[in-house]
Amino acid sequence: MMDALFITALLAATIRLGMAIGLAAIGEAASERSGIFNIGIEGVMLSGAFVAAWGSVRTGSPWLGVVFAMLIGLILAGIHAFMVLGLGIDQFVSGIGMVIFGLGFSSFTARLTIGAKPTSVHGLPSLDFGAISHVPIIGPVLFAQSPLAYIALALAVATGWVLNRTALGLEIRACGENAEVAETLAIPVKRRQTACILFGGVTAGLGGAYLSVVQVNAFVENMVAGRGFLAVACVMLGRRRPLAAFLAALGFGLAEAFQIRLQTLYPDLPYQFLVILPYIAAIAALVIGHVRRGPKMA
Amino acid sequence: MTPLLEARGLNKSYGQLRANDDVSFSILPGEIVGIVGENGAGKSTLVKMLGGALAPDSGEILISGAAVGLHSPADAQKAGISLVHQHFNLIEDLSVEENLVLGRPELRHGVLSFKDLRPDFQAVADDLGTHIAFDARVSTLSVGGRQQVELIRALFHDPRLLILDEPTAVLPPNERDRLLRFIRLLKSRGTATILISHKLDDLYDCCDRAVVMRGGRVVGTSDLRADDRPGLIRLIVGAELPPPDTRHGTRGAPLVSVRDLVIHRGNGTVAVDHGTFDLHAGEIVGLCGVEGNGQTELLHALAGMWPIHAGDITYSIGEAPLRNADAAALRRAGVAHIPEDRLHYGIVTAFSLTLNWLLRKLGDTRFAVWGWLWRQAATKATAGAIKDNDVRASGPRARMGDLSGGNQQKFVIARELGDDAAVILAGHPTRGLDIRTVVAIRNRLVAERAKGVAILLLSADLSEVWDIADRIMVMARGRLRGPVPVGETTLAEIGHWMTTP
Amino acid sequence: MSDGLTRLVRVGVVLFVAALVPSLFVVIAGHNPWRVFTTLVLYAFGPQGWSEVLVHAIPLTLIGLGVAFALRAGLFNIGSDGQLIAGAVLAVFFAPYFEGWGIAGLIVFLAIGAIGGGLLGAFVGYLRAWFGASEIIVTIMLNYVMIQMISYLIRGPMQETSRFWPQSYLIPDDCVLPVIVPGTRLHAGVFVALVMVIVAAIVQRRTVLGFQASVLGANPGAAAYAGFHVKRLTLVIMAISGAFAGLAGAVEVGGIYQRLQDNMSEGFGLAGIAVALIARLEAAAIPFAACLFGIFFAGAGALQRELALPFPLVWIIEASVIFAVAALQWAVPSRKAAAA
Repeated sequence: MMDALFITALLAATIRLGMAIGLAAIGEAASERSGIFNIGIEGVMLSGAFVAAWGSVRTGSPWLGVVFAMLIGLILAGIHAFMVLGLGIDQFVSGIGMVIFGLGFSSFTARLTIGAKPTSVHGLPSLDFGAISHVPIIGPVLFAQSPLAYIALALAVATGWVLNRTALGLEIRACGENAEVAETLAIPVKRRQTACILFGGVTAGLGGAYLSVVQVNAFVENMVAGRGFLAVACVMLGRRRPLAAFLAALGFGLAEAFQIRLQTLYPDLPYQFLVILPYIAAIAALVIGHVRRGPKMA
Repeated sequence: MTPLLEARGLNKSYGQLRANDDVSFSILPGEIVGIVGENGAGKSTLVKMLGGALAPDSGEILISGAAVGLHSPADAQKAGISLVHQHFNLIEDLSVEENLVLGRPELRHGVLSFKDLRPDFQAVADDLGTHIAFDARVSTLSVGGRQQVELIRALFHDPRLLILDEPTAVLPPNERDRLLRFIRLLKSRGTATILISHKLDDLYDCCDRAVVMRGGRVVGTSDLRADDRPGLIRLIVGAELPPPDTRHGTRGAPLVSVRDLVIHRGNGTVAVDHGTFDLHAGEIVGLCGVEGNGQTELLHALAGMWPIHAGDITYSIGEAPLRNADAAALRRAGVAHIPEDRLHYGIVTAFSLTLNWLLRKLGDTRFAVWGWLWRQAATKATAGAIKDNDVRASGPRARMGDLSGGNQQKFVIARELGDDAAVILAGHPTRGLDIRTVVAIRNRLVAERAKGVAILLLSADLSEVWDIADRIMVMARGRLRGPVPVGETTLAEIGHWMTTP
Repeated sequence: MSDGLTRLVRVGVVLFVAALVPSLFVVIAGHNPWRVFTTLVLYAFGPQGWSEVLVHAIPLTLIGLGVAFALRAGLFNIGSDGQLIAGAVLAVFFAPYFEGWGIAGLIVFLAIGAIGGGLLGAFVGYLRAWFGASEIIVTIMLNYVMIQMISYLIRGPMQETSRFWPQSYLIPDDCVLPVIVPGTRLHAGVFVALVMVIVAAIVQRRTVLGFQASVLGANPGAAAYAGFHVKRLTLVIMAISGAFAGLAGAVEVGGIYQRLQDNMSEGFGLAGIAVALIARLEAAAIPFAACLFGIFFAGAGALQRELALPFPLVWIIEASVIFAVAALQWAVPSRKAAAA
């Protein structure tokens, strides 16, 4: 079982399956670092998944679908920012509203447009790196992924760099550590937080797009299946660091990939017990990580 | 000579309250002026206006003769004014240099290179005569260290005027002296300083002259001659205060025994390092120390709010001694606790006064039996307590957050001391309160001592402790020194203990 | 503008936007929003609909009570769906033993439902109190776990006797909540819900536990100062919150399904949070909020049948209501002291 082929397939699947969570986690890490958290990214991802699929079907271009998904993520995050920062609404309340809205919006509009049944969707082409992608193990794992995966990795690294090495990142971190003091230091707290929330929305939209346009090549109602909440858990586990959160997401990708392979290896075991592996892993990780609860609610 | 800064007729009101009423004064280049007044006199409002954080309702501020509008802290900085607040504007979990950069908006651009910035910070630090690890987290610094960071930040661009708000409140005697010496050094370089304080000694040791504020107004000035002192005190305090209660207690049996106590903080560091002492009936023991040396943790552990890592705390109040008991059991046994941090522990601002009353009365069968609350009884008792203790509130249904700080504290004391407490744990009970309430609280503590109550008084105000305590304990880096009777030591020795573990 | 007029304008804007969003989607679907609204109202208050509204309001009330109880203590229970399933499963598991017990059987059946949900809630509370594990994440994860677990059980060990359909065996008649209005689905669970509303209201206002929960939510430091055992309190509060959802599970089985099957919760967990928020966490207001959402749920079903409007419209309406109610707090801020 543990031969090179198995490991190769497992690792390649890890990256593929963890990418949607990872994308959303990058932006949510930035948002939480600035002090605002968005439990609603589940809903944003759903909306992104639907909009990307719809865009891909309607225009024939999956890339346009991805762009649409980023836009819807921007809009929904903008609403969250407006509610929390503009009207002073509790972060949790606005987030729950966003989850419910995402559920409604994606399913409702999907049934009216691309159909209630799973519709096949033009997927994003994988990049071809030529000879490298045939190198044993490393080739298929690292060099045969979707372009979004490479964008995601670059984004994770870049976001971390901005937070730690630039003045903007320092101001953002100050907002997240102590918004009151940041205010007295003449940091435009709300502007910084809004920027981070919007960034979080864009990556969540991207994450949803990845699901429908890369991973599954279809839109299925409720297809995010808790990945948005897993992204929030990743941010907790990664202590709000974008790269660490991204890696935690890959950890969940591994759990998912493992679970799927176990199903084929042990067909007599009720599949339900394997499907729950990533979710159990999340709970165990939180307990082991002894992670304190997320940023203070509004 | 044109004054460096002149304030003319500044007014500021918060609703009904006149925080600043026609405040005028001036300061010449290179002068050191002290603005003195009791808590509530309007000093912090004035400071906020001079620092650009608050706009006056009317009046002007002139810098070198020209009127300026200080609409933001940035404006104040541009006008050459640097302000160090009483409560530091530092972000705990960031490093010293990150905080320094944050405090100077002109540095906050693009990619940060601390390597390049450090020489400039170091230059200012050398000037101050201070050694600071720039990459250390602020949370690891002592209070004095944090003040140094604030000073470096303030001095970074050679301000013409430095405003310090209550800088000596948290400093041990030797660091206070060092700070005051530094201010005089600045004077020799032409930098003017406004020193805000409620302590006369700060003024006499450092300032050229003093401006006295009371009730939002400037009520007088002083050239700080030695014989001026009694007059100055009268100016600051105003009308006659109630006479201090000077009764002494008779020291009785030990009610609290602490043996080899070890307390750890949440992050694992040691807060109390093998502390041993007794607290007797009919005495007040003062607990002194620089903030952050374990006093808060000691008090919380004594109150049953924090787990004990090793050692024992035994209360011998009733028939059976209570060993390492929790807060609720201690409360039932007659241990009163006036918490240091009223807002985060002592009260719930969103609740009514009645519910705040119930907070510590759940062991009293008049108010709670078998898990059931008797709200009417609680409401009546609260109404009575409000009346008897001069708490200014509209009634037991009033929202706690609507009361002034002084009235909130009076309520807490009424709640804690109302049921014949046998032991009182008091954490900074008079901090930040107006002089009248301060005297009332001090007299209350003395009265309780006369009744035979054992009192542990944690206070940063050495003179307050000196006035009423029988014995004094000092904490430095978690180690306890004393308790020693007040008559057998001096203020200088106590100050020395505060800085040497 | 005077203060009162500003408030009125703000309220108007909020209500307008809240009505606008669902209307937009209705228009996209090719229907007239006003017609949809009238259809909804006529159905909900008409002879066929009113009982369906109440049928949906029953579990929503129970779940809302549980969510509100935890939320007052600052604990976010998003796991009502999972706790509902846990309660239903445990109750159905023991149900065959209650054959012939009569009304006592029903009561025990319901109690076991509460225990099932309570155990799951206690587990979450334990992880939160002793390990600092975010109850938001843990409860959501457990939701998905429970959905898989019931899927397994009804296709496996607890499957109905012919071993064909993915559903469990039937519960004995003793455990069934009888229909109280013939010709409708409205069952005796409505009494259970009303009783629990009264119990919750009493606990909230008149008991030490309710007081401790609100202190914990308002100021955790004050809870420590007052000597509450915060860890134990957290566990108990989460257990009680889960118990409400578990009871809802038993009620749904006893009143509607009489067996276990997939999709028993159909989103009650999230809707329950909405109900709790709209009721401002006050037990007495929850049944009304639950009825409002019952109108949405029952109505959306009718709209789908009669106007071919996809059922997920109900979520869009729900979200709009949540945002509207929250925005109303901005529009008309009140600073009432917690009940004196």
